Amino acid sequence: MTRSLVRTLILADWERHRWPVIFCIASGVLALGLIQVGGELPFIFGATWFFTGLIVLACILPGSNVINERKKQTLPFLMSLPISITQFTAAKIVSTVGLFIIPWLTLVIAAVLYIAGHEKFPNGSIPVVIALASLVLVGFCLIAGVALVSESEGMMVAAMVVSNSSYGFGWYLLVRNAVIRADMKNPEIVWNTEILTVLGFEFAVIVLILGLTFYLQSRKRDFV
Amino acid sequence: MDSGILISQSDKRPIYLQIIEQIKRRIALGDWSEGQPIPSIRQLAVDLQISVITVKRAYLELEREGVIVTQQGRGSRIAPTPGLGLRLHQEELQKHLEHAARLSALLGIEQKELETRLREASDSLAAKEDQ
Amino acid sequence: MKNLAIQLDGVGKKYRYFTLDNIQLQLPPGQIMGLIGPNGAGKSTTIRILMGLIHQDQGEVRVLGHRMPAEQVAAKWDIGFASEDMRLYDVMTLDWHMRFIRSIYPQWDPAYAQLLLKRFGLMAEQKIKGLSHGQRVKATLLLVLARRPRLLVLDEPTTGLDPVARHEILRELTAVMNDEGRSILFSSHNTQDVEQISDQITFIDRGRIIDSMDKEAYLDRWRRLRLEAPTGIELPALPGVISIRQTGRLAVATSNEFGPGIARAYENSGARVQTIENMTLEEIFVAKVELSREEHQEVGA
Repeated sequence: MTRSLVRTLILADWERHRWPVIFCIASGVLALGLIQVGGELPFIFGATWFFTGLIVLACILPGSNVINERKKQTLPFLMSLPISITQFTAAKIVSTVGLFIIPWLTLVIAAVLYIAGHEKFPNGSIPVVIALASLVLVGFCLIAGVALVSESEGMMVAAMVVSNSSYGFGWYLLVRNAVIRADMKNPEIVWNTEILTVLGFEFAVIVLILGLTFYLQSRKRDFV
Repeated sequence: MDSGILISQSDKRPIYLQIIEQIKRRIALGDWSEGQPIPSIRQLAVDLQISVITVKRAYLELEREGVIVTQQGRGSRIAPTPGLGLRLHQEELQKHLEHAARLSALLGIEQKELETRLREASDSLAAKEDQ
Repeated sequence: MKNLAIQLDGVGKKYRYFTLDNIQLQLPPGQIMGLIGPNGAGKSTTIRILMGLIHQDQGEVRVLGHRMPAEQVAAKWDIGFASEDMRLYDVMTLDWHMRFIRSIYPQWDPAYAQLLLKRFGLMAEQKIKGLSHGQRVKATLLLVLARRPRLLVLDEPTTGLDPVARHEILRELTAVMNDEGRSILFSSHNTQDVEQISDQITFIDRGRIIDSMDKEAYLDRWRRLRLEAPTGIELPALPGVISIRQTGRLAVATSNEFGPGIARAYENSGARVQTIENMTLEEIFVAKVELSREEHQEVGA
C-alpha cells in the first residue's frame, strides 16, 4: 500500500509542475526553430535560449518542489499521510530529479536529431552539445541535492550561484581544448578521449551528488 | 426525534442542569409522556453539539431521581410512572416556594408579609386572566 | 486500561529554550479530549509527538495501539491530522486535493464529502489561494473529515474562524461521536469550544500537564464565592481556596476544590455568603495560569 503512496506523491509532484516542464521543452524547441531561421545572430540567440530554458528550470524546480514544502507550509499536510520520513524523502528525490530529466532528455534528443538532420551543422558538434547540456544537469543535481539535504533556501541559492557561474567557465574550458575544437567541425561524430573524459567526469559527479543526497536523506530521523 | 432542547450560552448554569430542567419541564407540561422514548445519550450529545459526558451526567441524575430509565441496548425512556408529569410540576413549584422563602429571610421579610405578598401575586394573576 | 485511543507515558522532549516534561495523557476511545494552555505551553509539541512527527526523548507513546514514532505509518492510516500552521497547495484546486486524498485512503466517503462541501459553503473547483482564511480551514477539515478516520488530531481547528464557521465545524466534530469507536483530540485557545464539546480536558502550562481529567468533574471542583465581610472580620485562609480578593466589605473567593465545608467555614467566621457561582472554563484557565505564574515568581525570588 505504501509503494503506491510513494508513486501517488511522485505523480502529484509532477502534476503540480506540469507547466514549468512544458514551458521548458517548448522554449527549447522554439530555440531550435530560431536557429533554423538561419544567420549568425539567430544562431547565437537560439543557442543561448536553448540552454537558458534548462538552466532556469534547474533553478525553479528544487525551489518549487522541495524548499516550498517547508516555506509554503504544506509539509505537515504531507507528513500526516501514512508515510515515513524515508519514503517521503525518496519520493521527493525521485520526483525532483525526474521532473528535470524528462525535459532535459527530450531537449538533448531533439538537439541531436536536429544536428544530425541538418547538413549545415557538423555531427562532430553532437558530443560537445551533449557535454554542455550535461553540465547543466550536473548543476541541477547540485542545486537539488543541496535543497533536499539542507532544506535551506539560503544554501540552495548558494548552490545556484555556484552552478550558474560554473556553466560559462566550464564551456570555456571545453572549447579551449584543441582536440575537442577540431573534432567539433568534423561532419562525423568523433568520440575522442578528451570528450569522453569530460562526459565520464560529469557522469561521475552526478552519481556522487545523487548518491550523497540519498545517503544523507536516509539518515534523517524526524520530519520536523 | 427532535429533542427540542436548547442550550443557552448566556445561562450561567452548567449545561447538564439545563438539560435536566428542560427535560423535566417537557414532562411537566405534558409534551412528553410517561414511558415515551427519548434520544440516547450519544444522539442527544450530537444533536445539541455538546460532550457525551455532559449528557451522561444529566441522564444519570434524571435516572437517580426516577424521571427516566435507561436500559442497556434499548436506550432511554421517560419513566413509565403514572403521574410523573404532575409530580415534577409539584416539585418545581416547591422549589420556587423554597426559593421565595429563602429570599425573604435574606431580605428580612417576615412570614406574615410573605403570605400577604404571595396572595397579592396570585390575585393579580387571576385579575389579568379575567381581562 | 487497554485499547486506549491515545496513551502518553512519561513523555519528555528537551529543546534549547523549552522542555516538555513527564507528559501523562490517556484518551479512551469514543471520547473527545480538549487540550488547553497558554501560548508556548507545549500543546503543538505534544501533538506532534503523538503523531510521530517528533521523536520523544523519553517515555512511551501509543496511538490506536501503535507505538510512535516507530509504527507511525500504520497509525496514520487511521488518523486524521490538521494543524493551524498547515497549508494546502495554493495553486491547486480543492477538488485536486480531494482526489489526491481519495486516491490514498480507501475509506473516503464521497457522499459525505459532497455534503460537507455544501454545509461548509465551499466550491471544489476553486483554487486554494482564492479561499479566505475561514474557507481554507474548512477545506482542510473537509479533507480530514470525509475519510472518517478513527482518530482526529486537530491543532487549533477553530482558531481565527467567524462564529458561523466555528459552529459548522463543531457540528461535524460532535457528529463524529455518533460512532463509539471514534475519538478526537484537539487543542484550542477557544475555551468555550473546549468546554462545550470535550469529555476530557487536559491543561498544559510550561511543558507540564497541570490537570487531565473528566470535564464535568473538573468544572465541578471550581466555584466563585461572593462574600460580604463586615468590617473587623478577618476571612480565614481555607484549604481549597486558591485566592481571595477583597475590596471594602465585599470579597470574592476562588475555590478549586469546592465542598460544602467551605461555605460553612466562611459563615462561621462571620462573613455572609451572597452567591456561589460556577466558573466557566475560561475563568478557571485564567485563574490557574495567574496562580501558577505567582507561584513561579515566588520560587524564583
